[in-house]
Amino acid sequence: MNAVLEDPPETTGHPLAGSAMSGADVVVQVLADEGVEVVFGYSGGAILPVYDAVFRYNREHATADGAEPLPLIVPANEQGAGFMAQGYARASGRVGVALVTSGPGATNTVTPVRDAMADSIPIVVLCGQVPTGAIGTDAFQEAPISNIMAACAKHVFLVTDAERLEATLRTAFEIARTGRPGPVVVDIPKDIQNAELRFRGSGTLPLPGYRARLRAIDTATLDAARCAAFFDALGRARRPLIYAGGGVIAADATGALRDFARAFAMPVTTTLMGLGAVDTTEALSLQMLGMHGTAFANYAVEDCDFLIAVGARFDDRVAGVPQAFAGGARYIAHFDVDPAEIDKVKRADWHHLGNLARALDTLRIYGLQHGFRPREQDLYAPWHAHLAALKRTHAMNYDRASALIQPYAVIEAINAITRGRAIISTGVGQHQMWAAQYFDFREPRLWLTSGSMGTMGFGLPAAIGAQFARRDLPVIDIDGDASIRMNLGELETVTTYGLPIKVVVLNNAGDGMVRQWQKLFFKGRYSATDKSLHKKDFVRAAQADGFEWARRLADPAELPAVIAEFVAFDGPAFLEVVIDPDAGVYPMVGPGMTYAQMITGDFIVSRQAQPAALEAGPSEMF
Amino acid sequence: MRRIIAILLQNEAGALVRVAGLFSARGYNIDSLTVAATHDPAISRLTLVTSGDDAVIDQIVKQSRKLIDVLEIADLSRSDHLESELLIVKIGLTGLAAAEFDACMQRHPAARVVDQGAGSRVVQFSGTGRDVNAFFAELSNLAPVLELARSGTAAVGCGDAVLTPRA
Repeated sequence: MNAVLEDPPETTGHPLAGSAMSGADVVVQVLADEGVEVVFGYSGGAILPVYDAVFRYNREHATADGAEPLPLIVPANEQGAGFMAQGYARASGRVGVALVTSGPGATNTVTPVRDAMADSIPIVVLCGQVPTGAIGTDAFQEAPISNIMAACAKHVFLVTDAERLEATLRTAFEIARTGRPGPVVVDIPKDIQNAELRFRGSGTLPLPGYRARLRAIDTATLDAARCAAFFDALGRARRPLIYAGGGVIAADATGALRDFARAFAMPVTTTLMGLGAVDTTEALSLQMLGMHGTAFANYAVEDCDFLIAVGARFDDRVAGVPQAFAGGARYIAHFDVDPAEIDKVKRADWHHLGNLARALDTLRIYGLQHGFRPREQDLYAPWHAHLAALKRTHAMNYDRASALIQPYAVIEAINAITRGRAIISTGVGQHQMWAAQYFDFREPRLWLTSGSMGTMGFGLPAAIGAQFARRDLPVIDIDGDASIRMNLGELETVTTYGLPIKVVVLNNAGDGMVRQWQKLFFKGRYSATDKSLHKKDFVRAAQADGFEWARRLADPAELPAVIAEFVAFDGPAFLEVVIDPDAGVYPMVGPGMTYAQMITGDFIVSRQAQPAALEAGPSEMF
Repeated sequence: MRRIIAILLQNEAGALVRVAGLFSARGYNIDSLTVAATHDPAISRLTLVTSGDDAVIDQIVKQSRKLIDVLEIADLSRSDHLESELLIVKIGLTGLAAAEFDACMQRHPAARVVDQGAGSRVVQFSGTGRDVNAFFAELSNLAPVLELARSGTAAVGCGDAVLTPRA
C-alpha cells in the first residue's frame, strides 16, 4: 500500500498536484487525464457526488463554443450505457467508460461487462456503492458488486480506502487497455466519493505479478532460430492459410498482418471478430470462416496444409470439432498475447507469445532477407487458382427470384452505397450473420458485434457509442425484430443526442436463428420463437421516439430507392424491412459437426452430398 | 491425477474469492484449499489440491496466472515436494478400546492428545493426506468419533528452489 504514496504530491508534475479535492473530483480529474472524451451513464443516489463533479467540471471547462469536455450520455437502461462504452471502445480502440449507481444500476451492467470480457474489449465501469459503513447491511440499492463482477470482469476493485482511490482509478485504465484487453469495474462507496483528499497527479497501485507477466510478453522477440524454424516448416508448405481473429484488431496489428500476407501472397480468412483485419474485398481474402463462414473459406481450411492462427482462439464456432479442424494442415503456427490460448483447443506446432505486429514484421523481414519469395517463385500459384475456383464455384448466394424481400439483398443494397467504409453494428442472430457475410469491411473497427457472448440488444447502444468515437463515419445498426426489442429504449437516446445513426430492423416476425435451429434439429417445433402475433408497430415506435425518417419497406420493387433515401438521410433514420421469414443463414456447420458436414442450403453449391435430414442431436450441443 | 498447486497472491480484498471463483466458473475441482499470509504480510500463499490430466492442469495454471492479484503459481506435484495436513478429532470415551487406543498413539508419534474432557479426548495429528487417512481409519475403529476438523494440504518444494514473486 505504501507504494501508492511514495511520491510527494508536488513532485509529480501534474498542474493540480497537491490540490484539495473530493473523491468525486478525483474521479473526474483522472477521467480527464486518461483522455476520456465521453461518459455513458445513468445517475442514482450512490453515485450523485460524481455526477455533480462531472457537472461542475463541464461548467468550469466548457470550450469557447460552449461544448462540454466530458459529456454525459444518458441511456434508457444501464445495460445501454455499458454497450455504448463498448461501441465507443470497439470503434476507437480507446477505453470506453460507463458511470452508474449502486445496486440495480451496477447489476444492469453485468451483461455488457461479461460481453466485453468475452470479446476482449477495454471498458471501465465506475459504480457507486453504499457508504463503507453500510456495506453488508442490506442497505437500499446495495448489491455485492465486487463478488458479482469478479466472475465476469478482467478485474474489479472495491475502494475501501479513500487514499487509494486515485491510484486505483488509474490502475483500472491500465488493466483495461493492457495485455489482452478487458473490462474493469471500480466500485466506489459514497463516503469515498465525499472524502476530502489531496490530488497527487500520478501513481498507480503495485501490481507486481501482472506487470511482470505483461513485460515478459511485451518484450518477447522472435530470434533467428525461431524465425528459421517457422520458415523451414513454411518452406515445405504449398497451401498456407492465415486464420486471423479479433486479437489482430485489438493489437492494432492489421497493418502488419496485411504486409505479411501481401509479402508472401498468403490467403486470409478471419473469424467473426476479425472481420476488417484484412480488406475483405481483396482477391486473397476468403472472408469469414466457421459455423456460418463462407463455403469457400471453410473449404480452404479443409484444404490448407499450413495454418497460421493470429490472435484467434479456435473457439467452438470455428473449431466445433477441434481434432477435425484444418485436418489437412501438417503444421499449425499460433500467435497470441494470452498464454492460456496456446494449446487450449488445438495443439500448435510453433507458437509465439508477444506483440503481434512486431512478430509479424520480424518474420516478414526475416523471410524476405532469407530469400523466401513465394510470390516471385509462383510457389502458391496452384493454391491461388484452387482458391479462386472455390470462390467462384461456392460463392455466397440466395433466392434471387423470390417475391419476398431477401435480407441478403437489403445488405447488398446498403453495401453498394457504403462500400466497406461504414461502421456496422448488429444484434445477435440471423441478421448478424447475414451482415457478417454480405457486408464488405475494408478497415478494422468498422464491425461491432457481440461475438462470444452473443448478446441480443447489443446493436443499437453499440452504434450510439461508436458514433461518439467516429463522428466522421456513417454508423448503421443492422438489427433484428427480436434483438432490437431488448434495448428498444435506446431509440430515444439516438434522437435525444441528434445522432445520424441509421437503424435497420430486418423483421422476420420472430427469433429467426433459434427458429432455424428448431427447423433443423427439433423437427420444426417453434417453441416460443414465433412473434407473428406480436402487435408492435416499429415505425410508429420510432416516430414516437423522435425519428423523423421512419419507414416500413415491404415491396421488393421499392428496395433500391428506399435504401438510397434511407442511407442518404441527414439525421437519425429508421427502416423496418419485412423480410422472407423463411430466409436462412447458410452455409451452416451445425454444432458438433465438421466442415465436411457443412450444409450450404439451396443456393450455395456444396462439394459434398448434403445430409438428407438432420435429427435432434445430443442435448449437449449448443 | 492429484495435483498440488501453490499460488502466491497479493493480499487484497476479494483475491481469494477470485481464485476460488475462477475454479468454479471453469469447472475445475478444488479438493482442498489452504490459505494464510506469508512472512511478507502483503502476500498470501494458497495451496490448492485438484485433479486432472496434464492438459487440464496446464489450463488451470495458465488461467489462474491471468488473475491480476496472482504473483506466482506453480504445480508442486511436478517435482519433489513436502506436504502436510492437520487433523483434529474429538472422540468419545464411551466405547473406547482404551488399551488399543494407547497402543495406537504410541505407534503414531505425530499424534497427540491435546485436550481431555470428562467424556471425550481431542486428538491432533499432522502428516500427508495418506498418513492422515491411515491414522484416522485406525482411530475410528478404536473410538467413537464425535467431531472432526481437517485442514487442507500445505506444501513446499524440496531443495533450495524457492517460490517467490517475480521482481
